[in-house]
Amino acid sequence: MFKIIDVLFFHYICNEQRSSTASSVLSVTVFQSWRILLFAVLNLICTACLLMWCSSTNSMALTAYTYLTIFDLFSLITCLLSFWVTMKKPSQVYSFGFERLEVLAVFASTVLVQLGALFILKESVERFVEQPEVHTGRLLVGTFVALFFNLLTLLSVKNKPFVFVSEAASTSWLQEHVADLSRSLCGLIPALSSILLPRMNPFVLINLAGACALGITYMLIEINNYNAMDTASAMAIALMIFGTMYPMSVYSGKVLLQTTPSHVIGQLDKLLREVSTLDGVLEVRNEHFWTIGFGSLAGSVHVRIRRDADEQMVLAHVTNRLNTLVSTLTVQIFKDDWARHSLTSSTLPTGSLSLSEYVTSAAFPPVMSKQHDELNLATSTPAKPSSPPPEFSFNTPGKHIQPVVFQTAHQHRPFNAPLSYGMPPYSSMLNQGFAHPSDGPAMRLGFGVGARMPSVQGYRTVNAAPHRYGSSLPSSQTGQQRP
Amino acid sequence: MDEKYSSNVISGGKLGRVETPDARLTRYIVLLYFTKLLKAFGIFESYDLLKVVHIVQFLFILKMGCAVILVFFQKPFSSGKMIPKRQWIKILKHAVMSCVISLLGFFGLTLCGPLRTLLLFEHSDLVVISLLSVLFTSSGGGPSKTRGAAFFIIAVICLLLFDNDDLMAKMAEHPEGHHDSALTHALYTGIAFLGVADHKGGVVLLVLALCLKVAFNTASRKLSVDIGGAKRLHALSSLVSAVVLLPWVIVLSATTESKVESWSGLILPFAMIIFSVMILDFYVESICMAKLETSRCARYGSIFLFLSGLLLANFWTHPLTDQLRGVSKSVQQSSTEHVLSGGVLVSACFFIMADSILSAPSSKGQKGTLVGYSPEGTPLYNFMGDALQHTSQSLPRFIKDSLKQILEEYDSRQIFYFLCLNLAFTFVELFYGVWTNSLGLISDGFHMLFDCSALVLGLFAALMTRWKATRIYSYGYGRVEILSGFINGLFLMVIAFFVFVESVTRLIDPPNINTDMLTPVSVGGLLVNLVGICAFSHAHSHGASKGSCSGHDHGHSHHGHGSGEHSHGGHGHSHGGHSHSHGHGHSHGSAGGGMNANMRGVYLHVLADTLGSVGVIISTILIRQFGWLIADPICSLFIATLIFLSVIPLLKDACEVLLLRTPPQHEKDLNFALEKIQKIEGVLSYRDPHFWRHSASAIAGTIHLQLMSDVVEQRVIQQVSAVLKDAGVNNLTIQLEKEAYFQHMSGLSTGFHEVLTMTLQMESMKYYKDGTCIM
Repeated sequence: MFKIIDVLFFHYICNEQRSSTASSVLSVTVFQSWRILLFAVLNLICTACLLMWCSSTNSMALTAYTYLTIFDLFSLITCLLSFWVTMKKPSQVYSFGFERLEVLAVFASTVLVQLGALFILKESVERFVEQPEVHTGRLLVGTFVALFFNLLTLLSVKNKPFVFVSEAASTSWLQEHVADLSRSLCGLIPALSSILLPRMNPFVLINLAGACALGITYMLIEINNYNAMDTASAMAIALMIFGTMYPMSVYSGKVLLQTTPSHVIGQLDKLLREVSTLDGVLEVRNEHFWTIGFGSLAGSVHVRIRRDADEQMVLAHVTNRLNTLVSTLTVQIFKDDWARHSLTSSTLPTGSLSLSEYVTSAAFPPVMSKQHDELNLATSTPAKPSSPPPEFSFNTPGKHIQPVVFQTAHQHRPFNAPLSYGMPPYSSMLNQGFAHPSDGPAMRLGFGVGARMPSVQGYRTVNAAPHRYGSSLPSSQTGQQRP
Repeated sequence: MDEKYSSNVISGGKLGRVETPDARLTRYIVLLYFTKLLKAFGIFESYDLLKVVHIVQFLFILKMGCAVILVFFQKPFSSGKMIPKRQWIKILKHAVMSCVISLLGFFGLTLCGPLRTLLLFEHSDLVVISLLSVLFTSSGGGPSKTRGAAFFIIAVICLLLFDNDDLMAKMAEHPEGHHDSALTHALYTGIAFLGVADHKGGVVLLVLALCLKVAFNTASRKLSVDIGGAKRLHALSSLVSAVVLLPWVIVLSATTESKVESWSGLILPFAMIIFSVMILDFYVESICMAKLETSRCARYGSIFLFLSGLLLANFWTHPLTDQLRGVSKSVQQSSTEHVLSGGVLVSACFFIMADSILSAPSSKGQKGTLVGYSPEGTPLYNFMGDALQHTSQSLPRFIKDSLKQILEEYDSRQIFYFLCLNLAFTFVELFYGVWTNSLGLISDGFHMLFDCSALVLGLFAALMTRWKATRIYSYGYGRVEILSGFINGLFLMVIAFFVFVESVTRLIDPPNINTDMLTPVSVGGLLVNLVGICAFSHAHSHGASKGSCSGHDHGHSHHGHGSGEHSHGGHGHSHGGHSHSHGHGHSHGSAGGGMNANMRGVYLHVLADTLGSVGVIISTILIRQFGWLIADPICSLFIATLIFLSVIPLLKDACEVLLLRTPPQHEKDLNFALEKIQKIEGVLSYRDPHFWRHSASAIAGTIHLQLMSDVVEQRVIQQVSAVLKDAGVNNLTIQLEKEAYFQHMSGLSTGFHEVLTMTLQMESMKYYKDGTCIM
């Protein structure tokens, strides 16, 4: 009764929150979208203007700079898409939702602008063969219009996906050089450090650098009539575009390729090691972890357990460990030789039957195995008298036990020996799992079993505390609902 | 100034270096400055001398004088251990090499003038070595070194392109007979063969000589240790080189008449040069190396040298300095030679910056790889790995290996052969274009090269697909193919866009087209591309036959030809038509996702090129026959639309795969399978069914099943995976949840929301149970 009220209360709170936030988010989103549309229209006008000036000045560098404006248009479209994505629910065919559309849009726009830069490079090489005259009339005007407009768009529109990518991706060479220069500048004038030392926005940087290149071009053409400078600065701008966009397209491309993000590998390894030290777990394999959109991690993993271990318990613990990092998680628990096990425990030789036969003939469930399972559930994992106490014993531990176990495990991990910290311990652990496949809790000492002794004890003491949601469900209730 | 900000001592690389106070070093720096000033003076003077004295004689006198002084000071024969015969041979080699390098250097001096020689030739080994390591190795040492290298290259380019040297024109009309000896004549013809002006040839020569010098210095380091000190080696080597040069000088002076009127008047300038360029510089440099650090010495030395070079170049032709100069006869003619120009000034600035950056002590230290975090939360690095892992492969071996890999599989082999054909055609076109000086051909060649990049991308993707799965690419690299197909599709879109824009501008203002050259080129291109189309469509049919007989391992399907025809027609093909071909009985779950996206992209590329050639031929005919200039832009408009339309299906398919859509060909099967799963004994419900195509051959899936508490999980797993495998999913993860799981979870989970969702799931389970109860 008490529980039902609780649940209703939760329901209510949640629903209310969802509806209120949804409506407010919606209105804000609509407003934002209109603003972005306005900017996109402005951008189109500006781009058209610039393209006309490009053909009238015959300047390659200005064309290259115009591509940055076109890129801004793409980024605005991406922003719109990301608004649309937040409103869209996963459909049946797109079961992961549309978050990846954002990633795809970022990838496509960075790749498109890089292809444009490639085109510029090709044209400039052709121009080195024969340099046409460049008219400087509109060059500076075009530069300043484009610069102003780009900066306006960059600074006034809050472009979530691109901001994320530009922060998450590795630094471009342009950023590295600017950071290096500003560091040595800060050595001379320390007061500047608050402005110069933080990571520069790559888009602002490339816009400024391109404007500088165009300014120099203008000066040289005006003063010395060096028309070749136009081609040179077009190449420079194209190279800068490559440098800026390449890390971003690599980052988003890796998301699209369903790779494990390298920055979470350390954490994941830690968690997987923890999982593999759980009682009953023999090995962890087929682990696939990847990001759905920007940020949320999805993954699937196969866990091989001992024949006599409780699958649901292990599943719950594994899920609980990994859930902190992986939001969309699927864990498959499997046992070797499960057929033999069930044969010994149950009277029915169902293991040898094929699928259809099973469906038709096995109308009645194996009663004995059910009892066996229940026995397991009640008595927790059996610790054999000959074996040392298990590393974690499962009896639906309370919420406050988690940190205790974690810390003791933490202290005895070889953190202080950084050389051996990478892959080898993990794989050796796997090998260990391979080496003692069947039922060897006695041999599965891992590291620091002695250290875990107190943790087990501490757990036992805490265990006496009442659990609100855990074992509060009476077993009679489950018994009732069974058909 | 960097030290302040690099808090980590090890990564800063600042361990163990103690800064000596500047005050004590000032005198060495001043000494260095005066030495460099004198050296610059000596080089300016030697330029003047070289106008009258033959270069070999000049070098002989220098070496001779140097040897006399050094033997007097160092006493290489009386002091130190005896030198065995073997080492004499080494010294002889050393001497010959040093002669060659000095000859090159002084010859460059006669070509470029003293200032440019100073700028180009007088860099310390440290600078050049770090420059080369930036250019040719991956571990250059951070962005600052890269910047330095870029500055260096810009400076050289400035000297090459923007330096309007007055002498250039004069040198160009040098009569060939003017050259004094066979040596200079050979060098002149060499430079003339390169097709650059003498002055620029000098720049190239000096850069080469600089590299040689550095290599020579590095190589002779071991020898100097064996001999017993660099000074002894220097003395012996200059003696030997004087001996080596002696017969040549004798022959020269016997055969040609000298331009020198009185040798006695040249004694003073020679002494000056020998003293400043050879002796003083050598000694002072070695002292400064010992007292200062190498890097500081190199930096100050080159900066002082360049500055004094600039200073002297400004005042050398001034009448005031004439009195100071030893050689006063060539004043009137040299007044216009090798003057300061804007290009030289700019490049001097760049050289100074490049030297100061490149000779700065490398701050990279070791580049550690992050291994993890300590309990306190500070990052831990591994410094060992870098040195151990870098076992560089030799280049021929690498090429051989990658060629073998390429030729192993059908797809990559096809792409590779076609790439070779395309490249050959391109280079023939480019060479012919340069030969006949036809701009149209050259630009078409570049266009072909641009197109080849798509092929290279496809080749690379086809190679990468076969790489083994790693920790990061846990499913394997199969998806690279799809991404490459997507990029190729984008590439084609960009090309179509540019063609479209170009044709619109031409539509407005049709230019006059010269059709003479166009036809053979476009026919050639058409032939090449037709070969490509044949090869690739053959590849598809081949793949189809292979795919159908060998089950899982390949993703080609039987409609390769079909898609080709469809895109000929310019409209996309749909997959709906052949999803029926998947009967239930047959086991290959991989075919049907369209042919491999990568190959499709490449194929479309070739197709677009073919269309381009056809368009050019048609428009040429129309223009020739009827004089319709408008035919060209209309043709290109048509082609652009065709490309655009043919790319759309490729892009759409690739997008669907990248967005993790449930594969459309398997949708029906999967729905059927899900229904079947629900009917399995003991299964209450399922949630979160995710199925997606990972690559051409892999379809992955995850599903959560709720079970009754009394079934054996492993049996359900077996049944469900059998059902889904029939539906084509070959990378499956099934999570089986019983009620106990939710109880455990609600006990374990701490957060508000998790508890909420868990309880909700439990509720739903109960609901399902009720449902089964009723049934």
